[in-house]
Amino acid sequence: MRSRDGNKNFSFSISVGLLLLLPSLVLSASEYLISYRYLVKDATLYNETLSISKAMQKCQGNAYNPLILETRDDKNLKKIISAQNEKFIDYMHKLGLNVEHKESTINFQYTSITILTLKTTCFKVDFNDNFVKISPLK
Amino acid sequence: MKYSLVLLALFSAASLSAAPQPMVVTAAEPVPTIVQAEALAPVTQEVAVPANSTINVSCPNCPQAEVVRAPEAAPQVAPVAPEPQEDVLEQNSNILISVVGQGVAPMNTSSPAQAYALAKRAAVADAYRLVAEKIKGVRVDGQDLIKNMMVKRSTVRTSVQAMVRNANIVETTFKEGLCEVEMEIKISHSQFQ
Repeated sequence: MRSRDGNKNFSFSISVGLLLLLPSLVLSASEYLISYRYLVKDATLYNETLSISKAMQKCQGNAYNPLILETRDDKNLKKIISAQNEKFIDYMHKLGLNVEHKESTINFQYTSITILTLKTTCFKVDFNDNFVKISPLK
Repeated sequence: MKYSLVLLALFSAASLSAAPQPMVVTAAEPVPTIVQAEALAPVTQEVAVPANSTINVSCPNCPQAEVVRAPEAAPQVAPVAPEPQEDVLEQNSNILISVVGQGVAPMNTSSPAQAYALAKRAAVADAYRLVAEKIKGVRVDGQDLIKNMMVKRSTVRTSVQAMVRNANIVETTFKEGLCEVEMEIKISHSQFQ
């Protein structure tokens, strides 16, 4: 038969563990890593890629310049963004993209490649009933 | 009667041939220079000739022709247009840079809407590239391979690398498969401190 003190210690350690674990789970759940890249070769678009994944570690930094997307009680960020793709991509353009452009003229034949990239950035995402607030961390 | 008619006709023909006929010669580059030549009958001929040219008037039956030349015009100095000054980013001032990017849709699009969206994306990338070129500049490398006094291979490579943020799309037009995006960006001195 267990003593009362033993049970108390056991329940105390469990509750402390939960207290430590839950906030970290909640915080990491609302942070996402997003990257975006596309390539334009000879004025034609190729390989547009938008990558979204949940952060497995807590991100550092302060949120700024938020974007609010309307939802209908949806908690899936990928679905929300793909539904409002244009708005989110315009927002990423505003945040700033790396421009890498190369053109070559060999024997008077011209080719060009332009790559626009948003490097993997941590975003804080707040899900609400009717909207989602997305803001990058810096 | 017949003789009188013939005489009248001959007389009228002779009077017509003696009548002064104005003659105008147009040169390739007309310059208003007036030449007056004295003939048996006082004849005034207006001849437009190019400047700095020599005029020889031959008239065996008339006294020495007098050539009056217009005074040579002073050399005209074309007004020198002031060189367009490049914008300099001074303290407490902004510069607005405007570019137009172009893009085309791929051949295998499933709908006109998709073609428009893809062409616009390409045009935006082109506009970003133009902004980066204007602000940061372009690196240019060139190489020519010459063998036996002949150019075998000519290569020009240019590259741009920059980070562009806060650029605004002002206008988008899509016409005959070509999308044009007008983009503006405001540059302030404080952004470079």
